[in-house]
Amino acid sequence: MLAEDCVLWGFAALFILVPLASFLVYGFFFVVDNSVVYRPTLANFVEILSNDSYRTTFFKTLRMALEVSAINLVLGYATAYFIWLRPPAWRNFLVIALAVPLLMSYIIKIYAMRGVLGTNGLLNSVLLALGIVDEPVSALLFNLTAVRITLSVVLLPFMVLPIYISLERIPNSVLNAAADLGAGELQTFARVVLPLSLPGGIVGAMFTFVLASGDFLAPELVGGIEGFTYGRLIFSQFGLAFNWPLGAALSILLMIVALAVIYIARRLGNPRWQR
Amino acid sequence: MANHETGGLAANQDLPLLRIRGLGVRFGTFNAINPLDLDVRDGEFLTILGPSGSGKTTLLRAIAGFQAPSEGGIEFDGRDIADMPINRRPFNTVFQDYALFPHMTVRENVSFGLRVRGTGRKRLNDRVDSALGIVGLEELGARYPSQLSGGQQQRTALARAMICEPRLILLDEPLAALDAALRRQMQNFLKSVQRQSGITFLFVTHDQSEATTMSDRICVMRSGSIEQIGTPRDLYYRPKSKFVASFFGASNIIEPCEVIDARNDVTSVRTAVGTFAVAGPAPEGGSGLALAVRPEAFGIGNGKPVNQVELTVVSVSFIGSETITELRHRDASLEFKMKTRSDPAASPPAPGSVLTVGFDPAECALVSGDRG
Amino acid sequence: MKRLRLLDVSLASVSFLVYLALYLPILLVFVLSFFSMRRGRVRWDTFSFEWYARLFSNESLGEALLNSIIVGVTAIIAATVIATLAALHVNARPSSRSARMLEYVIFLPFLLPPIITGLSLLIYFREIGVSRGLATIIVGHAVFVLAIIYRIILTRLNALSRSLVEAAQDLGASRLQTFRFIILPNLRMPLLTAGILAFALSFDETMITLFLSGTDGTLPVRLYAMMRVGFTPEINALITLILGFSIVLTVVFAFAWRRSGGTDNNRITRI
Repeated sequence: MLAEDCVLWGFAALFILVPLASFLVYGFFFVVDNSVVYRPTLANFVEILSNDSYRTTFFKTLRMALEVSAINLVLGYATAYFIWLRPPAWRNFLVIALAVPLLMSYIIKIYAMRGVLGTNGLLNSVLLALGIVDEPVSALLFNLTAVRITLSVVLLPFMVLPIYISLERIPNSVLNAAADLGAGELQTFARVVLPLSLPGGIVGAMFTFVLASGDFLAPELVGGIEGFTYGRLIFSQFGLAFNWPLGAALSILLMIVALAVIYIARRLGNPRWQR
Repeated sequence: MANHETGGLAANQDLPLLRIRGLGVRFGTFNAINPLDLDVRDGEFLTILGPSGSGKTTLLRAIAGFQAPSEGGIEFDGRDIADMPINRRPFNTVFQDYALFPHMTVRENVSFGLRVRGTGRKRLNDRVDSALGIVGLEELGARYPSQLSGGQQQRTALARAMICEPRLILLDEPLAALDAALRRQMQNFLKSVQRQSGITFLFVTHDQSEATTMSDRICVMRSGSIEQIGTPRDLYYRPKSKFVASFFGASNIIEPCEVIDARNDVTSVRTAVGTFAVAGPAPEGGSGLALAVRPEAFGIGNGKPVNQVELTVVSVSFIGSETITELRHRDASLEFKMKTRSDPAASPPAPGSVLTVGFDPAECALVSGDRG
Repeated sequence: MKRLRLLDVSLASVSFLVYLALYLPILLVFVLSFFSMRRGRVRWDTFSFEWYARLFSNESLGEALLNSIIVGVTAIIAATVIATLAALHVNARPSSRSARMLEYVIFLPFLLPPIITGLSLLIYFREIGVSRGLATIIVGHAVFVLAIIYRIILTRLNALSRSLVEAAQDLGASRLQTFRFIILPNLRMPLLTAGILAFALSFDETMITLFLSGTDGTLPVRLYAMMRVGFTPEINALITLILGFSIVLTVVFAFAWRRSGGTDNNRITRI
């Protein structure tokens, strides 16, 4: 029993806790001449908070993540609800069709979106063919909107699946009871189905927000200069800029936001009747 | 086998197979079982009977070893087993949900106890065949539990528990999941297996009639303590407490009652509705007593000339072979239930009419009132 | 009645668009992988398998694929052992505070943005003097997939009636025998399911890997490098192959999941 504890906590400490701790500590160091000085200072945080461009990038990214979560919540709920209303054979098919993209390479999906949004991309070809525009629209790629659209598409399954699962958990008897007590379809939806499936939506929104706010691949590949996000800012500290402590400090802020969102989601997504 | 411990026990009692002394189980501040003593005799069918929450399953789990007792000792055949690991205890359990291994066939399930002991193939097969024969499952050895009916699962679980030839089998409400007809059938079956094998059965149930049908002795539990132990007849005719009396269907409780005279094995008691004679001596510590009368003990008019009382009819329900009459006493607001054989010739008494009913002194009991 | 119809139609159209958005880009990549391009325009008259043929002569891609497989297999074996131990541990003492803490810790790398998992391991390995390579990627992937494997196994363990373990012990089985004869056979499907899922995740993992890879990159890292350069049919061909592989894995996973009773939500929630 003791050996078990040692192995498990040993692993957790060695590969999860200590790395996280060292990253937290790193945020308080600084760099002189491309080498890290191991002396605690708040300089990184002061820099981040006082530097306009860091601050705007931070809030721009959070806002973008929030927008993506909101859009996906609406799209995702509609889709999950649609799937839920299908007969069982259809449902299974639709759910698997949703899970397949989830297991596809993230980077590939982003790349594929580039093929859709680009100047010579599918969307432009369709718009041209339909005569909606006269020449290709370049505003579709390499800006923040492209990042929004790409993240929204790529993260959609993370929204639909949790909502669908919570819908599926609603027992039929509960719906019958609502109907039996005189609730119409819309009333049943508003008073029974929606409250019972909301935890799924909250989990989905949490996933979407956390993943969107920390992402750097999509902005890197479809964002262009305008789509410079916080994730890219962090990533660049470990590349060309080579300022790991600053990168760690930037990430600490991101982690605080992520933990706060996870915490709020746990509170909201775990309503009283389930505790 | 015989040893010095027999001396202190009550007369005509052999060394018990299972001897529990001062066994208590606490969950935090909650006493699931108050320290209690219990002896299980070799070869008997002993049922622990009680409502849910009475601690009966906890007691069984403590004996089996699934629940560590907070205090007290358990001896099996004279050996202390309180600290013995589950897998070394010399007896087996039939679980409430059967706990059949879903990934094993009936044969594999039944042979499990022998396999983990490294029994040889030949011997193992013989033993499994005979165990399957006892429970009548010879044909179904290759089936999986999910392909069996409830009764067949039950038989498999029993065969599995018997395979290591334990001297004691613990059964935790094994019939609870079966429907009424099958349950009666399984009661007879379990009883006959127990008789023929001579294995001691310690059986837990909340069903009074099940306990009465099957058991040699019944141990009634309530709120973590033993309320009374005795043969089914004892408990039925001589309940010691209001709780046992009503558990065994004596739903008419007249209390308070006071002993006014006791001689020649007849005790006279005074109650709010009259003075009655009760067969048997007065219980010791005779305060806080109640008089329990079975509904079927009542007779109308001259049919039961003793212990008569005048009661007003409230309602009459015909339930086939029997008729249940609800009655009320005029002064005290006491209500009574009377069960009589339905009489095709006579019309039932009208509500509001007054009847004189009586009951036999041997068909009532003086019991202690509520504890605490 | 009419209003409900309208609602149905709008639900259906939103869902249609969602599925379209999920599949169209991928389909496009697939189609384009058979054609050449000139000045950014597709030449529809050039259908060929040329780009696939070129892939097979690209040695660095083969190396990256091999790396991906080595990383995936090793990480999953390690993560499965730890996750199974952890699940058994937590299942045996559901109310223990230490067990609950352990569960939180296991979930951290999965819940936090991958960028944080990646860079914390990067900093850690640098500080303890481990240089970047396959080993560091393996650790990153193992930590990342740990939570998923753990969750699947724990769900199955919790669904196993407690009395099964008690029954085995009651019949004389030791702890080891109970694990070997009762628990392990019931974990076979969940282990397979978790393994497939974890391999698919590891095979596609990019963000953590980018932080932890030195000169030996996995396939997605190699892809990332190629993509930054441009949009070529060769990439399309490679992507098509990877997607084919992912789809096969997903279908296998879906079957394994259903056979292990995973879609039976009631079974999971009831516990």
